[in-house]
Amino acid sequence: MDRDLLRQCLTHHGESLFNTLQCEQTENPDFQAVASDLAKATYERRGAGEGCSLVEQFIARKADILFCPTWRTAVPREDELEDEEATEPYAIMPPAELFMEVPFEERRAMLYRDLERGDAVVGRINNIREYGFFLTLLCAAGGLRRDIEDLELSALCHIKEIPSTGSHDDPLSYYQIGDLIRGGVKDLDRYQEKITVSLLPASLCPRLAHIKLGVVAREELPKHYSRGLRVANDTRETYERILRGCHGYHNPSVVEYLLGRAGVSDDRPPSLMRGLQSKHFHEEDFATVIRKKQSASWALKCVRSGVDHFKHGRHVEAMNEYNKALEIDTNNVEALVARGALYANKGGMMKAISDFELGLETCPDHRNAKKYLCQTLVERGKQLQEQEKFVTAEGLYRRALSLDDSYPEAQAALRRITDTIQKSIRLREEATAKETEKAKSGKTSAQKLRKILKDEKRMKKKRKRSSSSSSSSSSSSERPSLSPTSTTSSRRRSKKRRRKRGGSERGSQRRRRRSSKRSEEEEEEEEYPAPPNTSASFLYRQGFLGSGAGRGEGGEEGGEEEEEVVVDDRRISQLYSLSAASEDEGSEPRGGDGEGRRGRSFSSHGKGGRRRSRRGSSSESSAAREQGKARRRSGEGRRRSRGRSREEGRSSEEGRGRSREEGRRRSRGRSSEEGRSRGRSREEGRRRSRGRSSEEGRSSEEGRSSEEGRGRSREEGRRRSRGRSREEGRSSEEGRGRSREEGRSRGRSREDGRRRSTDEGRRRRKASPSSVESQRSRKSTVAAERPPACRRSSSGSLGQPAPPLAPPRRTSLDGGRLGHSQGHIPYIP
Amino acid sequence: MEDPSSRTAHDGPPGQVARGGSDSETDVTREIKTHFRVCRFIMESGVKLGMRSVPVATACELYHRFFECVSLRVYEPYLVAMSCVYLAGKVEEQHLRTRDIINVSHRYFHNASAPLECDREFWELRDSVVQCELLILRQLDFHVSFRHPHKYLLHYLMSVKALVNRHAWTRTPVAETAWALLRDCYHGVMCIHHAPQHIAIATLYLALNSYGVEMPVGEREWWQVLCEDVTKEDINAVISDLLQLYDMEAKCV
Repeated sequence: MDRDLLRQCLTHHGESLFNTLQCEQTENPDFQAVASDLAKATYERRGAGEGCSLVEQFIARKADILFCPTWRTAVPREDELEDEEATEPYAIMPPAELFMEVPFEERRAMLYRDLERGDAVVGRINNIREYGFFLTLLCAAGGLRRDIEDLELSALCHIKEIPSTGSHDDPLSYYQIGDLIRGGVKDLDRYQEKITVSLLPASLCPRLAHIKLGVVAREELPKHYSRGLRVANDTRETYERILRGCHGYHNPSVVEYLLGRAGVSDDRPPSLMRGLQSKHFHEEDFATVIRKKQSASWALKCVRSGVDHFKHGRHVEAMNEYNKALEIDTNNVEALVARGALYANKGGMMKAISDFELGLETCPDHRNAKKYLCQTLVERGKQLQEQEKFVTAEGLYRRALSLDDSYPEAQAALRRITDTIQKSIRLREEATAKETEKAKSGKTSAQKLRKILKDEKRMKKKRKRSSSSSSSSSSSSERPSLSPTSTTSSRRRSKKRRRKRGGSERGSQRRRRRSSKRSEEEEEEEEYPAPPNTSASFLYRQGFLGSGAGRGEGGEEGGEEEEEVVVDDRRISQLYSLSAASEDEGSEPRGGDGEGRRGRSFSSHGKGGRRRSRRGSSSESSAAREQGKARRRSGEGRRRSRGRSREEGRSSEEGRGRSREEGRRRSRGRSSEEGRSRGRSREEGRRRSRGRSSEEGRSSEEGRSSEEGRGRSREEGRRRSRGRSREEGRSSEEGRGRSREEGRSRGRSREDGRRRSTDEGRRRRKASPSSVESQRSRKSTVAAERPPACRRSSSGSLGQPAPPLAPPRRTSLDGGRLGHSQGHIPYIP
Repeated sequence: MEDPSSRTAHDGPPGQVARGGSDSETDVTREIKTHFRVCRFIMESGVKLGMRSVPVATACELYHRFFECVSLRVYEPYLVAMSCVYLAGKVEEQHLRTRDIINVSHRYFHNASAPLECDREFWELRDSVVQCELLILRQLDFHVSFRHPHKYLLHYLMSVKALVNRHAWTRTPVAETAWALLRDCYHGVMCIHHAPQHIAIATLYLALNSYGVEMPVGEREWWQVLCEDVTKEDINAVISDLLQLYDMEAKCV
């Protein structure tokens, strides 16, 4: 209990209240604590007293509330807003004592009691002396609202307190007798009743700091003063009439405004009723909480019926129910998981992943969401791998493992992909070594680079000896990545490519089995320990080399698969449901080789669908070859754009897995939105036609280029990228040499360096004669095209603190979206 | 004019049935108690629905005015209260959704129960709330906007605050107390029988009095200035009405 407040009250009400209090609050330990203290003083009633017994009883009964320290919740907003005078959000009334006709002496005493240093006052100059001027105070302009005009208050403003406007003049010469001056109260002598004011802004207290001091016009005088003048001149004016006449009184939100000013909360409103004390309100009784609960349960109902539809094969109805559920309760986990499952069944891997991720976001421990997400990620990763987007695929595998580190399929897939990547790194490294030797002449940084490369090799050998297992976890945060191109140029190029990409990936799909087979063979042949960090965005270059041989087979395979898929479809839709039935099936380890096995996993359905849709557009195996080539180009473009996006992603995150996930999540919204908003069938049609046309265009184009040999087109690409990547090599070297610091700053600096060097490279590319270029480039093909990523990865293994890897956020997005639009042409049974 | 669904849709509030056993209680006091409880329900719902003070006041006043005209026996008070809340939200431009009102009320009547399913019961309840709202509108001849003391009280507070030393004012929770008193007074029919200015002055007076805040005295008292026609008797009448409500709480709940 607030003792001072209680004492104040007792002083007012007298002894009788104290007695009543003692009766009413006998059981209140708080009161007992202060009672003895209060009993010492004697109270004589000061307030007038008829009918007071009831009030006293009320006070006594409610004393525990009234005098409770927590009762005073209000933190009155004292700051006077600048525009309050002008806009008048509430009725600014003249001082009440004007109406009350409080005696002169009392008002004067009150003023000296209440006026404080830092307040603003307005006065009229009545006398100017050489040491300053004297003001007769008219009104208080801030901090206090009193009627002081007739109080004959005089205040001195010393010359030192007047800001001089120029050096040449006496500041006092600006002021004349009769001027209205606004000043801050600088000092106040309550005993001598002397007031000194200042025109320096520092004299005001901080909350009044916006007030301008100096000469004011009559119109600028505060409202309460001008209204007070009206009252003084017209005796018929009453408080209520003025109140109603005020603009601010009619402000519709005046109650909220003044409540805010008074500091009273309207959300947790005060009450003296026992039953309305805020402690009696439980959070779960509030409307928002109940609504949330209710929505969740209604949504669950919808999900249940949706699952029912799903089990009976009515997929459209099921989707409708899921969407309805999500409309009722956005982020309903069950609905998201169910819809994700449906998407996955229909081949919409990205949509499925995004749904699962969203679900996991709201409910991180949801078992099914986790499980399905793992499966879908791996499945999607396989798709990507087949499209030779190794980095993205690798990211997906890692993400899957980060969800469930014992998921065997993801482990296997990751191992496979790391090996593939590792292998091509080695190829590239050798090539780079040659390239460096070449580049050595005339370049100062080349020597450094060579040294570093040597180091790398040494380290690699060591590593080979020491560890054969590549831990996936250690790599996650340490992988630097560089974009192999400057943003501007790549954007332009990737735009061009985007058109081609449509059809080109189709070709790759045909080859993908072959290429994956090959990578397995390699896996067996070479027992190289995988480097912990293998971000190898360039790797599908290696992949396509390998895939070249198997190109012819593609067409036939496609035919076989189709039949299979039809069978799978049926089976899968049974297996993959919300029930746990699919669990065993889904988690069954499945090798990349066995087709029948692959069909088993739930999401192969989607793949099948994709394949099937492909049927219409491309079946001649001859086209496959051309596609393959064109693909290479488009792949390059893609890589470039991917690199760029990775660069973007890198800047902020530390944990690779996490950030990648984030990036995906962020991007997901966009892509899924797009997908949803557009008509599905229309989209499909467009995609199909686009794919076909670009395919044709490409094949004719390729026909030309095939005369000159496959090497040429590659060379072309090489030429384009070589200068760049070499520059990158240098810049990365630069970065390496420079920085042992922490990853982020390093990454940034390197990026800068790269940007610089890319420009340079571009310039040089233009300048150099093509004959020399081509000759040189032929030798350095592989090296040049090797993106700095792999070099970096090996540098990471040197034990340097590598910049945090930019998780290929956009990459996954781009790749994903493309892959999606490409691969998952909605399957219509 | 009776709403047919008003009886069926409602399922007995907790306190209402048990009371009324003793014969000494007259019909009038019983009715007052019922109104008190229903208003308590309105206020609790108001807090749970996040309503501001003025809409709550409007809801209570709608309720009181409705039952000025009709008998408590004819209409289910709690349903009327729900509709009053709904209507008050519209009148005071703080729109509330029927679903929330029904949810909060349902939980009020069935303590700690699960939220309603989206089934027939829910829709019936909703229908009766909407129907009852129309009934209230007709009964009150569409006079549904009132002048509340809130605006007066806040302006009075500003004026009174200027009369008092600022440190003394911040130390004393007059604003909270006056606001609480004003909100509490809607438990009874005082809002109909007293002028809003009088209620505002009385609550402020009681708040100042409770803390023994000394006001300067001139030719006229501060409250005389704020409202021309208020007398000491008016203030005392409001205060005694108000204090009765606090006594009532102990009897009703």
